Amino acid sequence: MAKQIYFEDINIGDAMPALVKGPVQKLQHVMYAGASGDFNPLHTDDDFAKAVGMDGVIAHGMLIMGFVGQAITNWIPKKCLKKLGIRFAGMTKPGNTITVSGKVIDKKPGLIICEVTAMDEKGDVKITGQFEAALPSKG
Amino acid sequence: MADKSKEGKEFPSMVWDVERGKIRELVRAIGDFDPLWVDKEVAKKEGYKDCPAPPTFYTVPMMWCGSMPQVITELKINFAMILHGEEEYEYYQEIYPGDLIAGTPKVTRIEEKTSKSGRKMDMVTVEINYTNQRGEKVAKARSTLVERK
Repeated sequence: MAKQIYFEDINIGDAMPALVKGPVQKLQHVMYAGASGDFNPLHTDDDFAKAVGMDGVIAHGMLIMGFVGQAITNWIPKKCLKKLGIRFAGMTKPGNTITVSGKVIDKKPGLIICEVTAMDEKGDVKITGQFEAALPSKG
Repeated sequence: MADKSKEGKEFPSMVWDVERGKIRELVRAIGDFDPLWVDKEVAKKEGYKDCPAPPTFYTVPMMWCGSMPQVITELKINFAMILHGEEEYEYYQEIYPGDLIAGTPKVTRIEEKTSKSGRKMDMVTVEINYTNQRGEKVAKARSTLVERK
């Protein structure tokens, strides 16, 4: 759970604490399918995945975005998060360990703008994105 | 391939009960054990009315209500060839267990693109504006799907 942080305490270039997740497991794909309601068999059925040209199942992109959300809310209180937008840059496979990292790239009055990246143990990028958080002033 | 004539089409709104158990299921699957999502007392101490829904919770009503599957079917997109391209959320206020949220999906863009490897694909962007039981705006979700051809 994130402690309250203040606008004045954050500088452009500051890093968000990195979060390491995984290794991602096939069982986790099944849990995520049930939780999210995304039952595309590409995530849970190896035979289906192979039939559509993959080596085997891939993780739901939204599971990896969930890791990104977790990294952010470990650092910034949920109520301060105003915007989160990401692009899926690569597929995640079972066994991948995902590291989420980020840094502050801009500040506007009361608002910080950060970039965020999720990559696996080989450095292959899975997600790139940005988020904005409204931080209170010490006043 | 995606039916370009459906660009701009708005779909019927869907209503979703925000449930405590569904929030717990989602954070368990993600492996996020922050008590904020599951312990009401902890959430209250942090200044929330109850346990807030986590940042990516809006995927739950989108998939479980069938709004995204409905869009995919109506646009004649091949389900087996879909990849998720982008996802963006704007948050206006928290949603809590017991809230009743309504979302109206709209297809805002259908565009053909060619990948670096020369493969053609359709990019379909769907926006869903969510309101709560008091009619207040709570969030906007924007999803871009990629249909490989």
